[in-house]
Amino acid sequence: MIIEFLKMGGYGFYVWLSFLIVFTFCSLLFYKTRKTLKKYEKEFAKELDKLPAEHKKRIAKSSKVISSILASKNKLS
Amino acid sequence: MEFFSFGNIIVYIDKFIKFINSIFFVILIIGISFALIISPVDYLQGDSVRIMYVHVPSAWIGLSIFSLIAVSTILNFIFKIKNLFLLIKSLAPIGLLFTCLSIVTGSIWGKPTWGTWWAWDARLTSMLVLMLFYVLFIISLKYFKNNENLTKILSILSILGIINIPIIKYSVEWWSTLHQPASIKFLGTSSIHPSMLIPLFLMLLVLLLYCALIFLMKYKTEIIKIKKQNIKRL
Repeated sequence: MIIEFLKMGGYGFYVWLSFLIVFTFCSLLFYKTRKTLKKYEKEFAKELDKLPAEHKKRIAKSSKVISSILASKNKLS
Repeated sequence: MEFFSFGNIIVYIDKFIKFINSIFFVILIIGISFALIISPVDYLQGDSVRIMYVHVPSAWIGLSIFSLIAVSTILNFIFKIKNLFLLIKSLAPIGLLFTCLSIVTGSIWGKPTWGTWWAWDARLTSMLVLMLFYVLFIISLKYFKNNENLTKILSILSILGIINIPIIKYSVEWWSTLHQPASIKFLGTSSIHPSMLIPLFLMLLVLLLYCALIFLMKYKTEIIKIKKQNIKRL
């Protein structure tokens, strides 16, 4: 039954190849995008770490972007 | 306008990413089960019809994203809205991926159906032209640093590219092509059975959720890049 399912009435090669290509390239784009996002989040957090503690606290309070990045950095670490 | 500030956008992006992550795999499994197991075999094409469940949504997404990008580019050219520029930059790679996937899966479907991987047919050729427009778009975004020139180039590409969209849509009616005419009509009766429509729309939902996820991550990256440049001014 499994062999029959894999064969797909003789069209198995074409059907599985299509699905495999779609999922492979979608996964590649996903991992590349996520890696770039994490890289920029890390770099940004590093830049923030260079700032004096008081200044960092103040801008983290006033900027939602920075507090969001710091939150995801904390989750990572 | 405060609602569209980067600060507010990034909060919603995080919420949306979490939401998509929580439902994506469930919908993916349901979609795949319908597409590969539950949906019936076509009386003429046999099981090869299952390629439709990845080919058709990919083509729809490729076309829709280009239309969205083209309209956004023209609006950005007129009104100079920064968010629109980030939207264009984040959407273009997704559109290119799905246009390529639609061409490749179409070619794979063509082999058992038409007996050939490729034909210089009106629909296939116009899709290839769309892919070239995406490539030009992405190359321009990467290599033109001058904002003024970039906006002009992108607007020209959008205007030229948008002409190709109705050509793609109506190519199967205007010319005699190997590609079949549209089976799904949004205005009118579709010639496709609901047992095949349901898996098709489920797979469309899966791929749309995937697009949203990639778009949100890319948009967030662009916001961080801008904030990183301005960190000294904070």
